[in-house]
Amino acid sequence: MIKLRCAAALAAGALALAACGSGAQEQPSASPGQPRTLKLWHYESADGAMGKAWDAAIKKFESTHPGVTVKFEAKGFEQIQKTASMVLNSDQAPDIMEYNKGNATAGLLSKQGLLTDLSEEAGKRGWDKLLSASLATTAKYDDRGIMGSGKWYGVPNYGEYVMVYYNKEMFEKNGVTVPTTFEEFTAALDKFAKAGITPISNAGAEYPAQQIFYQLALSKASRAWIDSYELYKGKVDFHGPEFTYAADTLADWVKKGYIAKNSAGIKAEDMAVAFMAGKFPIMVSGSWWYGRLQTQLKKFDWGTFLWPGNQFAPGSSGNIWVVPEKSANKDLAYDFIDITMSKEIQNLLGNSGGVPVAADPAAITDAKSKELIDNFNKLTSQDALAFYPDWPAPGYYDVLVAGVQSLINGSKPPAKVLDEIAQPYNDNLADLGN
Amino acid sequence: MRRYPVLAALGVLAAAMLFPFVIVTFNAFKTPAEYSSGQPLSPPHGLNLDGIITFWTRVDFGEKLWNSFMISGSVAVLAVVLSVLNAYALGIGRVRGRLSILVVFLVANTLPQEALVYPLYYLAKEAGLYDSKLAIIIIFTVIQAAFGTYLLSAVLGQFPREILEAARMDGAGRFTALWRIVVPISRPTLSVLVIFFFIWTWNEFFLPLIFLISNDNQTVPVALGVLQGEREMDATTSSASALLGIVPAVAFFLIFQRTLTRGVTVGAIK
Repeated sequence: MIKLRCAAALAAGALALAACGSGAQEQPSASPGQPRTLKLWHYESADGAMGKAWDAAIKKFESTHPGVTVKFEAKGFEQIQKTASMVLNSDQAPDIMEYNKGNATAGLLSKQGLLTDLSEEAGKRGWDKLLSASLATTAKYDDRGIMGSGKWYGVPNYGEYVMVYYNKEMFEKNGVTVPTTFEEFTAALDKFAKAGITPISNAGAEYPAQQIFYQLALSKASRAWIDSYELYKGKVDFHGPEFTYAADTLADWVKKGYIAKNSAGIKAEDMAVAFMAGKFPIMVSGSWWYGRLQTQLKKFDWGTFLWPGNQFAPGSSGNIWVVPEKSANKDLAYDFIDITMSKEIQNLLGNSGGVPVAADPAAITDAKSKELIDNFNKLTSQDALAFYPDWPAPGYYDVLVAGVQSLINGSKPPAKVLDEIAQPYNDNLADLGN
Repeated sequence: MRRYPVLAALGVLAAAMLFPFVIVTFNAFKTPAEYSSGQPLSPPHGLNLDGIITFWTRVDFGEKLWNSFMISGSVAVLAVVLSVLNAYALGIGRVRGRLSILVVFLVANTLPQEALVYPLYYLAKEAGLYDSKLAIIIIFTVIQAAFGTYLLSAVLGQFPREILEAARMDGAGRFTALWRIVVPISRPTLSVLVIFFFIWTWNEFFLPLIFLISNDNQTVPVALGVLQGEREMDATTSSASALLGIVPAVAFFLIFQRTLTRGVTVGAIK
């Protein structure tokens, strides 16, 4: 027994020594003629649209760059969120990585000088022409790290937007047709409610409910209002027609039974599963569900439409490629981004259930994917992506979740909820010195 | 007669404890389509191993297991050695100011890891240890040894003086007394500590997440995090990964069950 324990202790000691030995890492060399390595990180799932497209991009990159190997590492979203600034500040930084767009993420890193300015490359390689204005918003950051203007620090490959998913069978059975105006939409909701069916699958504990709230506000909004709200280009009145209408209508919809009262505590995943199980005829959510519905939803026929009557829709570019300032292979990183923006890769992204930003519409063969991308192109051509309601201030997501939950519960009157969500927004503006 | 209510209560408690594991097991063996179209709580129709296989190959789980094992094993042994040396000085050697030293150890023990992240990050970077397993081994050896020192000092403070006296009479030096007398007598406590340190280090998530940047250095809990996307959640693969993640801990518990239960009683010194 004693011998056994000593052996175990020795073994563990040896392990510790082995661990010491593996600490060193070889550095990528930048001298010509030498074999080079492009260290690439992203956090998309391997069988999703981006995962498939980027996999193809890596293969294409390796075939067009003999002597260069791509060292790809799949990361978790949370790990990148928590560690990005530390990693990019060390010599372990990757040469290129996917990162979250937004002021608190890419904006902050650009302000700290951890990201490479891509303006010159974007002009030279024509990325700026491939991306429409509302898509480029999340690629550019100013000196304060606020998006919308300034230098290019990232390049988005894909887009996302919020739409209405519907269950074709339930629509047919209840004699409801696809609404084209807001009046028809409410009439449809009413018909379901009268038939004893809660029409909208909703999730108040996470982002979906605030996106419905934002859709309602957008129905009364102009581009100038969106720019004021999201990019601080003007003053936003939380008791103005946009938010007042949104808060009143949402509260009203709960009363009328269009949205279930108990949805305040439901999470996005459960919302989608309930829709897929055929419990609700409608789900208002983003294009990020599309691929999953395409592959997993066999129970009934489904379709999508844009929120009826709205010019604008919540949406934006997807996450962006960034090149860390400490990247030792910036030239290779630019080449790689260029490949991901090529028609070949963009078309593949589109045919795999993603929303490409620069695909050839004729090359999208799958009917469902075509519907998704046509709607997106309709939005971008009208410059109609309105971003997301939680973007303007750090920690605003939780403020909105709480606010919209009180609307659904009916625990606070709409005017009071608007006061509560106005406060953190204005505090943040004051912090920024606006 | 009094046994049945107790047994019934234990049965209910066990059922409540096992319930989440049952759900995880159910969903781990479902196909994604089956999960989406049915109830998360319903049992799977068949045994679908895709989730487990996908996860295993995607994160190279064997390598993660080895990393976790190497880090936890090294920390457990090194931390206990360090604790014994500290506690020998504090509990038996009775160095001056030992109470304040113990208080410092205790305070260090209660510090949240979030507060340690930045200092440790800069230290590791300066020492060239950022993104290496050695950094995590050193950090956790110190963190676990802080607790170990605190606990062992109390245990060794009660160590029967007569035995040490007798040893000294027989000509044993300080080191011999430690190695031949103190360590063998407190072995039950020490082996419990080794196991605790191993399990605690195995389950650590936050600091390994920060320090083990490369995928080939990552531990099991960090690898489980890879599946969490920004908005999407792959329920079946997540369940499969959770199942794979708890299996080593359960296996470890079963192997050392006897030592662990014995450890509960060693606190009470005879």
